[in-house]
Amino acid sequence: MRTRTIGFMGGAIMLAVAASLFTITQTGVAGQTATGAQADSSIRTPWGEPDLQGIWTDEFDAPFERPERFGDRAFMTAEEQAGLDEQRAGLLSRDRRVERGTELDVAGAYNAVFLSFKRTSRRTSLIVDPPNGRIPELTPEAQARAAEDREFRLALLRSTDTCKNGSVACRGGEYNPEPSPRRAEPAPRYNTGRMNRHDNPEDGSGGDRCLSGQIAEFGTAFGGSFRRIVQTAGGVSMYYDVGQGQGFQRNIVMNGSPHLPDSIRQWWGDSRGHWEGDTLVIDVTNFSPKRDFRGSRENLHLVERWTRTGSESLEYEVTIDDPTVWVQPWTVKQEFRKQSDQENRIYYEPRCYDGNYGFPSLLLAARLAEQMYAEGKGPHPATNDNATDFVGVEDNPLR
Amino acid sequence: MRHLNSNSLIGVVVVAAVVGGILSASVSRMAGQATRPDRIDGRPNLSGIWQVNNEANWDLEAHAARPAMITQPGVYPYAYTRLPAPPVVALGAVGAVPGSLGVVQGDGQIPYTPEALARKQENVENWVDRDPEIRCYVPGIPRAMYMPYPYEITQSTNQIHMAFAFSSTARTIHMDDGVAKPPDYTYMGHSVGRWEGDTLVVDVTNFNVTGWFDRAGNHHSEALHLEERFTLVTPNVINYEVTLEDPNTFTRPWRIAMPLYRRVESNMQLLEFRCQEFAEEFMYGHLRKEPLVSHWESATMEIDITRKIPEGDAFYDWYSR
Repeated sequence: MRTRTIGFMGGAIMLAVAASLFTITQTGVAGQTATGAQADSSIRTPWGEPDLQGIWTDEFDAPFERPERFGDRAFMTAEEQAGLDEQRAGLLSRDRRVERGTELDVAGAYNAVFLSFKRTSRRTSLIVDPPNGRIPELTPEAQARAAEDREFRLALLRSTDTCKNGSVACRGGEYNPEPSPRRAEPAPRYNTGRMNRHDNPEDGSGGDRCLSGQIAEFGTAFGGSFRRIVQTAGGVSMYYDVGQGQGFQRNIVMNGSPHLPDSIRQWWGDSRGHWEGDTLVIDVTNFSPKRDFRGSRENLHLVERWTRTGSESLEYEVTIDDPTVWVQPWTVKQEFRKQSDQENRIYYEPRCYDGNYGFPSLLLAARLAEQMYAEGKGPHPATNDNATDFVGVEDNPLR
Repeated sequence: MRHLNSNSLIGVVVVAAVVGGILSASVSRMAGQATRPDRIDGRPNLSGIWQVNNEANWDLEAHAARPAMITQPGVYPYAYTRLPAPPVVALGAVGAVPGSLGVVQGDGQIPYTPEALARKQENVENWVDRDPEIRCYVPGIPRAMYMPYPYEITQSTNQIHMAFAFSSTARTIHMDDGVAKPPDYTYMGHSVGRWEGDTLVVDVTNFNVTGWFDRAGNHHSEALHLEERFTLVTPNVINYEVTLEDPNTFTRPWRIAMPLYRRVESNMQLLEFRCQEFAEEFMYGHLRKEPLVSHWESATMEIDITRKIPEGDAFYDWYSR
């Protein structure tokens, strides 16, 4: 049974879309000032609006939050940048193997071939405000929610080798061979992350269910992220290519009308835009409680600023606010480079879902493990770890 | 679709051209909508939110109303006395199919090869298992253009973008020839457009084999090649015509035509229809530890819902070894 379960898990984790595990931390900024963007006013559409059109991506990797060693320095030196490039080029990353035949080794089947490593940015963090480049402190209520969530996930993990071996995935928890009675409880909040239980589709992470791909969008290690902007007079449409076929569209409402009624909640919110000088400013609210951005759900409020700064460059700045989660708003900035329209390297089909054999495999493997256990042919299902999958990610110096 | 045959269409176009000429200097501003010029870069401006108002997504061909997409024999042995089959019987009249004169031009029939016609009949019998719409798969072109969901056209100069509410899918029509094709077959195809006068003509290729045209099992192969024609006949109506070619499936090219209507509501905007989530119970419900739906009950009937495993599904084949 042991081998059989691992075999099923291998299929599951190999095929499950694990993008959500790697989101957010991997993209970066080339190096621009932390002050307001300088628009290139000469680049305009035939009808006279600033022209933001094209396929855009961030060609550099920067830490999302600033590593402490950089202190208040927004930019690293050229030497530091070269050193990091060299260090990262030598990383085995997810090609690293751990002990053969272990659950963690099988979980590494999604190896480095699937990842993209870009050159290191001069920027020491994508976060430009607060000045320390770190996400502001969580409010006491958000801390309590996060602790409650963590406690629940650790309870589901406590009888596995992951906890027995003291893996970082079990940090804050401890090994207990007795399966937790909490395995029968619903998650404290609507689940969006990996948990070590697959009783129902709702136990799957957003990534595994092909329901990730969200704004605010800062790319994933799986090929970064691309967005195509197409404009018409008084209209802006965007399509995001992100996370292995979890792409999504945004159609910015530009008519000056107020946001949707409070009762209408959407996975990608409600985007309402206007021009401030040559900058497209988009206010995004009405998010669904079923998606989670670092703990923020239905109260997330984004203010995005898109500025064409040159023929090949577009600056993106977003202020992220949710007073129920963070003690103050914070701001992320990225500089996108224009990609060739002719090469057309953007993928439009949200095909993750259509080809998702991994997710039903996770559920089916869980049912089979239960059956084997009931027949006395396998271990207690609570001793299997079908959630942990981070081989080689922990030694990335940009984290 | 007699009212849309080519003779009367010419009439409509002529009238529209005259009216269009009168309006050409003006700018249409719907209440609550951003200023939308009549022309973009000298071409008719198709930008806005559009939707069909027809029965094409049920069945492209002419058909009388029928009780359901999937039926079973009734007490009489006639085709016209069939009854809704168990998977949809609980929907009653809501599950019925409205009648239509169809959108297929000419004799109203799709010119299938005998093998392809047999496949269509099989599709009808296996609708629940095979229609990609039920699973919220990417709908493909042309189907996305006439599903009962709105879509937004954003017309620029070298690209015309279409964003569809259903399944959050999109297509970009490239007005520059020579844009690289996707490296793989796709649901939505690769679209290259050009203007013939005031008609937008779009050539679409690179399809995969999984697309359906409607809920009636009409289908195609990866050899499908479309030529779409978009003609704005009034500010709020586009005449949409498609010529479909696929020698693996059809004996000759054939054509569909229908009007697309602007959603003129002052507060119209595209809302999400992320149906992946809605189809999860259908797709994975049987894999729950404690299935939610083993049978449905009401005061008068108990219905067993059977979800057949799709034939040739690699995943299920693998596990049933």
